[in-house]
Amino acid sequence: MRPILSVSGLSKSFGATAAVTDVGFTLGAGERLAVLGENGAGKSTLIKIVAGVYPPDGGEMVLDGAPHRPASPGTALAGGVSVVYQEPSFFPRLSVLENLYVGREPRDRAGQVDWRRMRGRGEELFRRLDVPVELLTRRMDALSLAEQQLALIARAVDVEAKVLILDEPTSILTDAEVRRLFLIVQRLSEAGVGVLYITHRFEELEHVADRFIVLKDGRLAGDLPASEADHDRILEMMSGRPVNAAISRSPARPGRVMLETSGLTVPGAVSDVDLTVRGGEVVGLYGLVGAGRTELALTVFGVLRPSAGTMRVDGEPHTPRGPRDAMARGIAYLPEDRKTLGIFPGMDTLSNITAVKLPELLGRLGVIRRAEERELATSWIDRLRIKAPSPAFPVTGLSGGHQQKTLFARQLATEPKILILDEPTRGIDVATKTDIQQRLVEVARDGTAVLVVSSDLPELLAVSDRVYVMREGRMAAELSGDDLTEDAVLRATMGVHR
Amino acid sequence: MTTTTVPSAFAPSARMLVLLRNALLPILLVAEVIFFTVAAPGFLSAANLANVVINSADLALLAAGVTLVVLLAGIDVSVGPMLGVVAWVGATLFVAGMPPPLVVVISVLLGGALGAINGGLVVGGRISPIITTLGTAAIFKTVLFILWDSTDVFAGPVVPALGPARAGGVPLVGLVVLAVFGVLAYVLRHRVFGRRLFAIGNDAEGARLLGVPVGRTSFAAYVLVGALVGVAALIYVGRVGVVQATAGNELTLPAIAAVVVGGTSILGGEGGVLRTLGGLAFIALLQNGVVLMGVPPLWNGVLVGAAVALAVAFDVLTRRTLDKRIGAKK
Repeated sequence: MRPILSVSGLSKSFGATAAVTDVGFTLGAGERLAVLGENGAGKSTLIKIVAGVYPPDGGEMVLDGAPHRPASPGTALAGGVSVVYQEPSFFPRLSVLENLYVGREPRDRAGQVDWRRMRGRGEELFRRLDVPVELLTRRMDALSLAEQQLALIARAVDVEAKVLILDEPTSILTDAEVRRLFLIVQRLSEAGVGVLYITHRFEELEHVADRFIVLKDGRLAGDLPASEADHDRILEMMSGRPVNAAISRSPARPGRVMLETSGLTVPGAVSDVDLTVRGGEVVGLYGLVGAGRTELALTVFGVLRPSAGTMRVDGEPHTPRGPRDAMARGIAYLPEDRKTLGIFPGMDTLSNITAVKLPELLGRLGVIRRAEERELATSWIDRLRIKAPSPAFPVTGLSGGHQQKTLFARQLATEPKILILDEPTRGIDVATKTDIQQRLVEVARDGTAVLVVSSDLPELLAVSDRVYVMREGRMAAELSGDDLTEDAVLRATMGVHR
Repeated sequence: MTTTTVPSAFAPSARMLVLLRNALLPILLVAEVIFFTVAAPGFLSAANLANVVINSADLALLAAGVTLVVLLAGIDVSVGPMLGVVAWVGATLFVAGMPPPLVVVISVLLGGALGAINGGLVVGGRISPIITTLGTAAIFKTVLFILWDSTDVFAGPVVPALGPARAGGVPLVGLVVLAVFGVLAYVLRHRVFGRRLFAIGNDAEGARLLGVPVGRTSFAAYVLVGALVGVAALIYVGRVGVVQATAGNELTLPAIAAVVVGGTSILGGEGGVLRTLGGLAFIALLQNGVVLMGVPPLWNGVLVGAAVALAVAFDVLTRRTLDKRIGAKK
């Protein structure tokens, strides 16, 4: 088979974090190559390098015999690399037809947009892909999500692609559309297009892959033909990282049930989920991106409204109308995205810590009791060892890890009964990470019910007394004690049973 | 295999919403005409309608220009004061005896240059359009005040087509306005430049990824607004006959009102100049009809302001409903 894309020694770091290290593979013309790996294994970074979104720090790429060094996604596209991202961008107020041809509208000799030719090409494309032609005239925002995704796949396919990259394209498609997609991939491969297919679903492998590679911690952990695609063997390649032993974890003495959900359902995100968290224990919540973990947390915190099921907090029914209700019940939530949802960048460290606590620090006439506020902030800066020169130091001057500790302090200052943390250590240096992990175990041991949402499996295994695994909105497994192993969590995540 | 449920039941209601967004203005316009025909004697007469056209022709060109930048998800709130500056320069040159065609060319070029200041700040300086044009609006106002120097400039129409002249009862400026809107409608639909405005207004970053020259296109749109202001300024001179210290200031709000009432989304990416023409008709007939009913013209501000607020509220609310479906994917 003629190689269409070969990659060697590819590396990319973001700051101190190595996302991809020394990865090499060859994709043949007409070959379908599946890329597997855990969350954060480097799959997305790898395809973004090929697609010209990130320049690599090192390594070589050869596309159809010529060096491939795209300066932008536009040049990569012009060179024949077409991508459908997991969350692709499109133009919601324009028709499907226009979405197909933005930036490359067919023109007539007078330089006018040639609507008839555009229409003709669009119809031909949709017929070829077996997509209903009448969708072309509909506005993009009037389509269902699956129809939108199909239109975007069509856009990627219409480009004269040498390499087509599909990043988890089936996550929002219905079964019928998935079959249609497989057919499209099949036809393209027969036409000589190389297909890179990112997936988390083992059951798809036999349909879409001739060969697969496995990434682990940014490195190539395996490269095998599909005939040797044995689930156990793949899992073995994906797992096997050392568990962080730096955390000391005394045995939990779980108290009474502080948080309980039963049959909880949020349309499009969470279905029929039962979960309990007791005082004194750390409960981990694992799952792939889009499995519904964050949505579950947001529902407990009153941001999302469940359509069915019940929640109880400390035995009492919990029907929050918003985050204020949840906070009044003693629930604290540390959101996933520190920069946009947590830190108040214009303010100093002190004010960031006391922000939620302020109503309790008001004196007569509603004036803030400054001395008390300062004392509170200082005590937390000391207890969590936040490296701030003074409480008045601007919070944006702190390192990422210490910004996160500041947010942690803000939530702890409210003395919550239930503490929910979403990706508490993402993008943080190792030392601070270990420190935060240690703290959250201690917080639990002091009697708080702690729920940790994380994509970092070694982290979850290190801090959790129990782990729930979500898969496609449902609870796939609850693991504790000797059953709580990396292998077991991965199996539940992928939907593979022994 | 199982997949997350796809809310396909949403699709018909979304289509209904899109339909409602398109059909609302024509319905309101018809209702308005029927109401005033009954309530205000003389409203539907040819003479009155011709007056409405003559009195709103300059406003129409401002609104056409504002439409272009609103499609980009931008805005220009400096068009009124900008018109004042160009009107003073045009009237002064005309009174000084400069040949009329040259006055027209210079006005258009001057307007384009002032528009280029806005475009340069928005694109090159990455300053948000609302702040940029609020700032330049204040500057244009002051510049006019300095130029005016306590002396009103009296001038008639520079050329007949930019004045109140009629041919067989049809106001000539009306034909100018129709021609401009016709050309812009063609550009928006059939030229790549026009399609790019829509793509940028939908998702500037996405458009950039697909090779659309976002900065250049946006800059050109602001320059085009200025050129349209240049023509509108001479129509203003022909209509009012005098340029005073605050000339044009009163036109900014109704120009934006015509755009948003017409149904071009204030959030960008959908609409067009023909919609603006409809919105303009609604605003102009509203002001005219209310006066004919004997309501003091003072109330115009309340009516136009309310129309803007209601139109934007409708736009944002319906669009939020449509966008929920997009956001649900994340």
